Amino acid sequence: MATPSSDRELKKGSAELLILSLVESRARHGYEISKLIETRSEGRLRFHVASLYPLLYRLEARGWVQGRWVEKAGQRRRRYYRLTPQGRKVLAAQRYGWRQFAEAVRRITGIEYA
Amino acid sequence: MPDWREIVRERLAGSELDGTRESEIVDEMAQHLEDRYVELRTRGASKPDARRLVLEELNSERLIEDLRKARRPSAQQLGAPAPTGGYLSGVTHDLKMALRAIRLKPAFSLMVVGMLALGIAGNAAIFSIFNGLFLKPLPFADSERLVDLDETAPKWNLKFVGISAPDYYNWRKGNRTFDGLACFDTGDFNLSGLGSAQRVYGASVTYDLLDVFGLKPALGRNFLSEEDRPGGAKVVLLGYELWRRMFNGDRGVLGRILQLDTQPYTVVGVLPREAAFPGQSQLWVPLQLDPNKHTGFYLNGVGRLKRGVSIERARANLLSVHRTTAQEKEVTSPVLMPLRDRYLGDFRPISHALLGAVAIVLLIACVNIAALMLVRGSARAREIAIRTAIGASRGRIVRQLFTENLVLAGIAAILGVVFGNVCLRAMISLMPEDMPRWISFQMDTRFALFCTVVTGVAAVLFGVAPAVQASGVDTRSCLQDAAPRTSLSRSRRYTLSALVVCEISLALILLISAGLLVEAFRNVLHVDPGFRPENVITFRVSLPDVKYEKPEQRLAFFEDLIERVRALPGVKSAGAASAPPLGGHWGNFFAVEGARPLGRNEQDPVVLQVVVTPGYFDAMGITLLAGRVFDARDGGPKGPYVVTVNESFSKRYWPKPADAIGKRIRHSWDKDKWMSIIGVTRDTKHYGLDQEMRPSVSFSEREIPDWDSMSIVLRGAINPQLLVAPARDVLRQLDADLPMYDVRTMTERLDQSLWARRAYSWLFGAFAMVAMVLAAAGVYGVVSFAVSQRTHEIGIRMALGARPEQVLREVLAGGMALVFIGTALGLAGALLTARFLETLLFGVSSKDPLMYAAVILGVACVGLAANAIPARRAAAVDPMRALRSE
Repeated sequence: MATPSSDRELKKGSAELLILSLVESRARHGYEISKLIETRSEGRLRFHVASLYPLLYRLEARGWVQGRWVEKAGQRRRRYYRLTPQGRKVLAAQRYGWRQFAEAVRRITGIEYA
Repeated sequence: MPDWREIVRERLAGSELDGTRESEIVDEMAQHLEDRYVELRTRGASKPDARRLVLEELNSERLIEDLRKARRPSAQQLGAPAPTGGYLSGVTHDLKMALRAIRLKPAFSLMVVGMLALGIAGNAAIFSIFNGLFLKPLPFADSERLVDLDETAPKWNLKFVGISAPDYYNWRKGNRTFDGLACFDTGDFNLSGLGSAQRVYGASVTYDLLDVFGLKPALGRNFLSEEDRPGGAKVVLLGYELWRRMFNGDRGVLGRILQLDTQPYTVVGVLPREAAFPGQSQLWVPLQLDPNKHTGFYLNGVGRLKRGVSIERARANLLSVHRTTAQEKEVTSPVLMPLRDRYLGDFRPISHALLGAVAIVLLIACVNIAALMLVRGSARAREIAIRTAIGASRGRIVRQLFTENLVLAGIAAILGVVFGNVCLRAMISLMPEDMPRWISFQMDTRFALFCTVVTGVAAVLFGVAPAVQASGVDTRSCLQDAAPRTSLSRSRRYTLSALVVCEISLALILLISAGLLVEAFRNVLHVDPGFRPENVITFRVSLPDVKYEKPEQRLAFFEDLIERVRALPGVKSAGAASAPPLGGHWGNFFAVEGARPLGRNEQDPVVLQVVVTPGYFDAMGITLLAGRVFDARDGGPKGPYVVTVNESFSKRYWPKPADAIGKRIRHSWDKDKWMSIIGVTRDTKHYGLDQEMRPSVSFSEREIPDWDSMSIVLRGAINPQLLVAPARDVLRQLDADLPMYDVRTMTERLDQSLWARRAYSWLFGAFAMVAMVLAAAGVYGVVSFAVSQRTHEIGIRMALGARPEQVLREVLAGGMALVFIGTALGLAGALLTARFLETLLFGVSSKDPLMYAAVILGVACVGLAANAIPARRAAAVDPMRALRSE
């Protein structure tokens, strides 16, 4: 998973799962989400502005996350995304599916997953 | 710091995102870029480097495309499930809009739903009855091939005489068109040996009746052909219900012995549930006819046509057989009709008339709603104009209005079905006990389908026309009109007037029909039955042949019984008759001494023959017109033989009742036994209050003591119901095995004989009232609307000097013109339709001028009242107010 271009497909499949996981515990804004993906993956995964926002809007259109503008004193307004009840169900399903997939890959290749 | 907003905005140029949406995206992404820039700078990147890196991250050929794909939902849809597709989401949207429109106008919606529900409820209930009677297949295999068989004898003034045993066997022998021909005789049996004795209805049947119906026994076996011969084994098939009731559905019932009329019968099987035939029959025994013995005409037949054979061909077949072999081939001939028609044919005209009535009510309701919609459509013209102006297509608006109406109709359909079911239950509870039990009234798919169609048609009827009109509104003129209301176009005013005229004429047709039927019912109620029914109760007692073998035994029994019940406290008088009024027919033929012999083709009407005890005429309250009734002098099997005749009989031969006294008559077939007429009694309505009476001859029971079944008649000084228990005790003392059955007061009998007429007259009246109320509401609504439209104009005219009376007169004249046109059209319609009711009328002509005049006057009065309220409102217009409101 070194370069963004080689793992485009994998990334696409997992991107939704990553974002949903990150807004599970609390609402976050877009920049925060991209930072968290970068730091938690120790720089291995990156979502730049051009790919992050279309994805966020898509999730919102499906009703999995909901965005809301929040204004704080002395700051510009930011849009915070939180998980909807429906998104919670989708996240659970995707987590399960991913775990099954990774387990299957491990059994075949003998690679321990991270 | 670079202007990130400007950069993002440039990047998104040409994306064609809508305004608010775009600025939100710009805000959000600019914020992100700024954060990133600040981050890069704090990590030590130079300003140009940081700017270049950030811009690189923003670069993607797919950005705009991706954004467009992920269009954020509108504020309303947030949190809603993902849309499921264009068309369906359009429908959901339409539905939402419709529900909102309905909620916004609760009174209007309630009126529409109420009117429709009323129409649908009536239709649903009446249709269920109609369906049960005429459409639903009988519960027999290929039931359309089942045919009722009988003989007819116009010469005897009898539509159905019954089949004689030799005729039946001859038909059977010469049959080439039927798969099977069976016949049966109804009767009842004293069933004893299982607790207290009871009377059960049953039938004696040929062994193949079950096969003709295409049924198999539920348990055990069918009769064998050798059991169906004179002297064959005494076996019985139990009816399904009797088996469940008396034996709890015990399968061990086969082989058990039952006492029927004190004779032992072996149970060989149980009939299937569907074979609840004929009528109330609860068990079958073999008929055991002797093909060679001449009998009276008393059997009923059922045949199963061969596949592909028409009823006409079968009739021709039987007729040719009959012509050569029949017992009375010159008088009788076979009649065939579909099985259902024989048992339910009587209800056909009534059901059709009722269906017509409810259809009219539904039509009026729909017309009314159409008028309401039209009025509201013009009130909504502005709303529609605005929607058209901001881009809604004509189709879109029609669809929206259509959905609204469909929703209203749907709600009305549900309410209508529920309410209709309640009405149906009520009507079923009114039905007589002797309805064939294989007729049932339930909701079925046909019924559901019918309701759906009615609702659908109603929705189209009242929905589409106003919707099309409303969507054709001239947008510009509508919006230019400063006032929030608009006036009706000329064409729409004509449509409204036509609708009102239509309503009034339909209501008039129904009112006249209902008036005629109710008048007929009143006439029937006022018919003198020819006896005094008050305080009279009757019950029947039948003596089994085996125990009461000799005629003297039977005579002694009945005389003893009547003597004892007459002595009961509270009994004024007592007697017995083989057939009291409304109690069945036994026909015979008589010749009068000295009368010229009948020609070959001359009518020889059948005569009702009744056997009575001396006290009968007194107990029943039948008036004597001349001579005397039977007393202790009369009777004895050796004569002198005496009879009484009724008025109809006497009239046929003599001008005055008194002239009949002393004249002699004999049975046509008995040349030697002459009987003297000692009295002439008034005609009774023996066959029902609305039926013709036949000539009748009564014998003393002492003269024909072989009668084994009699109706005991008690006239009480008190409520006759109180006499039942002591009379039953008396009967039990005489013979504990004899059941007392068919216990009813004469008033009840008369009442029950009129159930159908009462029910449909009442229903018709109710429908007509509803129709009138709906029509009046229509007139009121339309005239009120017209007045409210003209307030401004009226105000101007009054300001210019018009007097309130003038305005009042003018508005009234306009409204009443509609009422009169409607009345005239309705009158023509009523003259055309009332003749379909002719078979149901009694003592009133279908063109009764009094009824027509009364209804027209009534409609005019109601129309006047409906017009008067808005007319007065118009006359009370304050010119200053009306003008200022502009």
